[in-house]
Amino acid sequence: MELEFGGFQIVVLIAFLVVAVALVAIFTVVALQARRNVEFELVTETGYRLRRYWLAFLALLLTTGVVVSLFFLPYPSSADSAATVRVSGGLFYWSMSPQTVPAGSEINFDVTSADVNHGFGIYDPDGVLIGSVQAMPGYHNELDLTLDKAGTYMIACLEFCGFKHHEMIREFEVTP
Amino acid sequence: MTLKVAESEHTAVIHALGEEFEPRASGQERTVGWLFGGTGLALFTLMALIGLVMRFAQADSISISAEWFYRLMTLHAAGMLAGALLAMMGGLWFVVRSSVPALNFGRAMASYAAIVSGAVLIVVAVLVGGFAAGWTFLYPLPFDSSGQWETWAAVTFLIGMGLVGVGFFVYCIDVLKATTQTYGGLSGALAVNWLRGRDSSGPPPQVIAATAVSIQGIICSAVGMTIVLALLDHTIDGQVTLDALWAKNLTYFFGHTIANLIIYLAAGMIYVLVPLYAGRQWKLSKPLAIGWLFTIVFVLTAYSHHLYMDFVQPGAAQMISLVASSAAAIPVAVVTIYTGMMLIWGSRFRWTLTSTLLYLGFAGWAIGGAGAVIDSLIPINFRFHNTLWVPAHFHNYLMMGIGLWMMALVSYLLERAAGRTARRRVSIWAPVTMVVGGYGFIFSWYVSGALGIPRRWAVHPAGTEEYSLVASIFGVVFLAGFFLMLAEFASLGRDAWRRRASATPPTRSPGIAGASSEADLALGRGAEPLIRTSFGLTTAVAMAVMASFVFIPPVSEASEATVKFHHLAHAVQFFIGAMLGVALASAPAVVDRITPRWTNLGLLVVVLVPVAMLLFMVPAIYSDLEESNFLHASYHFVVLILGLLLGLGASALGRAAGWIVLASSVGMALMFAAGVTGG
Repeated sequence: MELEFGGFQIVVLIAFLVVAVALVAIFTVVALQARRNVEFELVTETGYRLRRYWLAFLALLLTTGVVVSLFFLPYPSSADSAATVRVSGGLFYWSMSPQTVPAGSEINFDVTSADVNHGFGIYDPDGVLIGSVQAMPGYHNELDLTLDKAGTYMIACLEFCGFKHHEMIREFEVTP
Repeated sequence: MTLKVAESEHTAVIHALGEEFEPRASGQERTVGWLFGGTGLALFTLMALIGLVMRFAQADSISISAEWFYRLMTLHAAGMLAGALLAMMGGLWFVVRSSVPALNFGRAMASYAAIVSGAVLIVVAVLVGGFAAGWTFLYPLPFDSSGQWETWAAVTFLIGMGLVGVGFFVYCIDVLKATTQTYGGLSGALAVNWLRGRDSSGPPPQVIAATAVSIQGIICSAVGMTIVLALLDHTIDGQVTLDALWAKNLTYFFGHTIANLIIYLAAGMIYVLVPLYAGRQWKLSKPLAIGWLFTIVFVLTAYSHHLYMDFVQPGAAQMISLVASSAAAIPVAVVTIYTGMMLIWGSRFRWTLTSTLLYLGFAGWAIGGAGAVIDSLIPINFRFHNTLWVPAHFHNYLMMGIGLWMMALVSYLLERAAGRTARRRVSIWAPVTMVVGGYGFIFSWYVSGALGIPRRWAVHPAGTEEYSLVASIFGVVFLAGFFLMLAEFASLGRDAWRRRASATPPTRSPGIAGASSEADLALGRGAEPLIRTSFGLTTAVAMAVMASFVFIPPVSEASEATVKFHHLAHAVQFFIGAMLGVALASAPAVVDRITPRWTNLGLLVVVLVPVAMLLFMVPAIYSDLEESNFLHASYHFVVLILGLLLGLGASALGRAAGWIVLASSVGMALMFAAGVTGG
């Protein structure tokens, strides 16, 4: 299984790195100012004023994240899918039916487990993780995905399931 | 004042102005600090070495079998959890005792014994029994081992985890009992009275933290005990089946919340330790008090983000978790960390090994928290769920946050005992090396997570081993700094020992040594009844009477239709008993007889009764009894008596702890009924 960074993942990683660098900068500045002798009243006066802006900024940032998330939820809609692929995870295999689907149409993956919990992670032909859903005994999790690229997709287990967990990989074909 | 600071700062262990806020530590506080902190650090050391072995194995630099990899993975996580939990429990207890002398030393030691015993059982289960289902023991994996371990190993592991939960449960009950009795009930200890202007001074921040964590800890432990007992019931009666989604909810509620609470235990500790080096006291404020009230809600509702990819999970739970997971960052970032930075800014901060570790811990919490919030957004989680991003963010705040604070606690105790700070070179280079190594180690995971490498894989996908190799090298760098620090700890320990030997025996500080028993007696006045008014008494009895509908023949017959209804009926009978027990224990004649000496008995009862109750709900045990009407009736009567005992036991724990324990215990029976079937 060969992996590649996806564009989405790179954006998330860069966003995180920006936040991390900003935090490191803040902590560095505070550390450099720690040895100074400043009246605490002065610190609190400025600090409390800035805290309001900090609260507003953080609340806005987090609210934006939550609201935007609501528009991109991966949960299945009621729309009809072109095809249903029945998926069952077991120790340590994936059974899928049918084993090939056409590219470009929305596929409904009906995922369950024959024994313990597994994780249905799907990687596109470039090796980019494009989504996952859990395979749980006694339940059917339905995942709707549009597989635009033709080629060989990889299915890997993303929930720890035992001593061959890392070997629970199989291929899945999407035809042009 | 400035001159005084300048003169003393070269020799002082802490900031000259910080001595005013330093917790008064008698033998008991020091014992708890040393024992909990030292044990936590020892476990951290061992588990870190195991973690490094795992990373080198993933880098393909050393060879260990997949079977052993997953055993080590299970041990590493469970051991780290127990170690970090112990250390921060001890740290909080150490700093809170000055403000809350009613904290009981014996009960702290009992919780220590339970957690250490649990850790020993976990080690046995993994190293002897080969148990390797992960520390989250997700049903039904513990019973589907593919021939890797026997049932006894799973049972041993579960009992071990159960003991960790019991230890935390006992600790939380005692802390909640003590803080609420000292500061005027729950609303006093959470500063609600102060916010409403009914209390002029209010509790110190560490007491609010301790109270909030205790409430959450009791609920979290009760949920943890429910899933552990349900799994044990499955081993007693193989026909007992658990709903997998229900089991997952309980497991992650317990696992996520207890891991999260370690950080909040630590927050209480740093409220006291950081001011010692800044010379400025961490005071109660409205944002702090309000922040903690929100934190209680957010921490208890965030766990469902572990089930984002379980699409059958109710949408409401997903949405609540989405909001709570993000919102939880606000009190942390806007109140705790921000206030910490204000205290440090321009304070002539006393940089020592301890204070450097404390400071760096803030950064670990903040950066790891950012990684967590990002992963808690559902569309992102869709592509990052169970990738290496997950261990990246939690190692970020556990290893570079809690880990450093754990070291800071031990460092503080050592520097104080030795009467000197760690050597300057070590105070600089050990933290610097750990920061370089630690963040290199963790950031390799963040990048690997973005690449889509799954977590918990013994063998990583071909071509990605380099990420693990880079991480392993950084891991070695981290450990180099860590062992450099441990060597200095040894030197400090030697000096402390010599100093102790040459010093005259310390006089016991008045008001603290033996304070628990004195305070208990002072607070005695009989017990603090759970019900204080005749209206309350009437309500409790009325609720018990109303719930007695379960005994009406058509209802009781209907309840026999399915195991779920039958267990629900048990839960209701348990509730009836509990209400009657509370009413009985609130009668003046009984209240006067419940002295503080009954607390330990009450504690024992509230631990054992729910365990007995849930172990009792195994069809293999009770189905034979149903063949005889007398035995059947007696069986239900025993359930009612168990509830009665619970009500009486809870009544010895004070109002706040008593009611929360009572509600949690009845909740355990209800939860059990909802998810356990078969048999």
